[in-house]
Amino acid sequence: MEGRVVTDTTDIFAVDYGDILQVGEKFYRVRGHEREARFGMDEPKFWVKRVEDLETGEKKIIKLSFLEEFETEIGGVKIRCFRNPHKEAEVLELMKDHPFFMHGTAQRDSKGNILRILDIVPGQNFFRYIHSLDIPYGKYFTDVLPDILTRLARAFEAIRLLHTNMLKHGDIRNDHIIVERNTGNYVWIDFDYDYEAPENPFGLDLFGMGNVLAHAVGKGFHTVHMILQDPATYGNLKDRLDTADFSVIFKERFINLQKLYPEIPKPLNDILMHFSRRANVFYEYAGEMIEDLNRCMCLLQ
Amino acid sequence: MHNFILIALNDSVSARAALNFFARLMMCPENCRITLLHVFRKPTATEELMGKKFAEEQPTRFKSMLEKAKDKLIECGYDPHNIEMVMVTDPYPTIAEAIIDQCNKQHYDMVIIGRKKMTKAEEFVLGDVSVKLLRALEQMGVLVVKSE
Repeated sequence: MEGRVVTDTTDIFAVDYGDILQVGEKFYRVRGHEREARFGMDEPKFWVKRVEDLETGEKKIIKLSFLEEFETEIGGVKIRCFRNPHKEAEVLELMKDHPFFMHGTAQRDSKGNILRILDIVPGQNFFRYIHSLDIPYGKYFTDVLPDILTRLARAFEAIRLLHTNMLKHGDIRNDHIIVERNTGNYVWIDFDYDYEAPENPFGLDLFGMGNVLAHAVGKGFHTVHMILQDPATYGNLKDRLDTADFSVIFKERFINLQKLYPEIPKPLNDILMHFSRRANVFYEYAGEMIEDLNRCMCLLQ
Repeated sequence: MHNFILIALNDSVSARAALNFFARLMMCPENCRITLLHVFRKPTATEELMGKKFAEEQPTRFKSMLEKAKDKLIECGYDPHNIEMVMVTDPYPTIAEAIIDQCNKQHYDMVIIGRKKMTKAEEFVLGDVSVKLLRALEQMGVLVVKSE
């Protein structure tokens, strides 16, 4: 077994290609780092190692304890965010048999750092999947969207289960859902993020669910800039815009999608409008949104 | 016949506004049984960073706050024997849940709470105790006093 054996992962940058991570009785060869591909940038995530189980040859992901902490502004509201390996370990344990969550185990290294040894979920992320559908919106709406919403409702139900157990995903985004290759299941990944909003612990998860739904219903996101600069796609929509049509958090994101695609039924659009600047009542629990979404399904069949 | 009133208090401007509003109301003080309630939420990681001493000082600090609120009501003619001070120290996930639980354990005719002015984004992200109480509480009035 050639290579440096590492048992203390405190310095995440010191664990590099070719090293062997010893976790308990198991040995994993580091094959590289995971990368974050967003907004045209492709940055390595040094705390997320691609590894190979030296006993079985199986490819895995090992997440090291990266205790990043920062303050972010969401819609002008300052929120303290941090990575929480302990929370991710709890979710892994709770959801170890659940088909809509990434699977894996958590173990401590020789210095007590929490490592998560994760199975790779094969498939495309939901963001890319939606953008890969090269069909006109009308066909998308009738032929594809009903199945997407059925699967999303199931994935949201999985989040509700998490919330029932007082745990949150923490970073619900379109690229944190994998459309699993063999099953078509929408599988949640990457739940080590956490945020501090004690009076509304699930608010940002719900906001993420709203974004995912808007992305699915709109066949991608639509921003004020896109609408103003692309009359060939958006027609006279720019003349009918109202500030209330946009997201309560992301001011440039167009939410009132029925104005763009009149075939969207009002009850479905109403769900999205809970995330708009027009809303006076917000969803408080995932169950409320799922209930509304399930009611819409029959309108799309 | 008494009216049972719960006033949820912390050390915020909006809680003071709620207390002052109630104190100015034209009520019959002799008919009111008042509970002044303060809830200790499970401390956030940031609050934990404030240290052990800070955490240990909190019960004294909020007991003093409730005593001042009681004095204010006594000044306004309320009978000290009809004013109860309650500090909830059991860990609840949110303040709203603790108040709702308190209301489920004991009969109240009205709950009074302050609400600071918030943007929609703030309400969405941070949540709003008063909205949660309005949604959850039944068979009683909920008086929300808005402040700047």
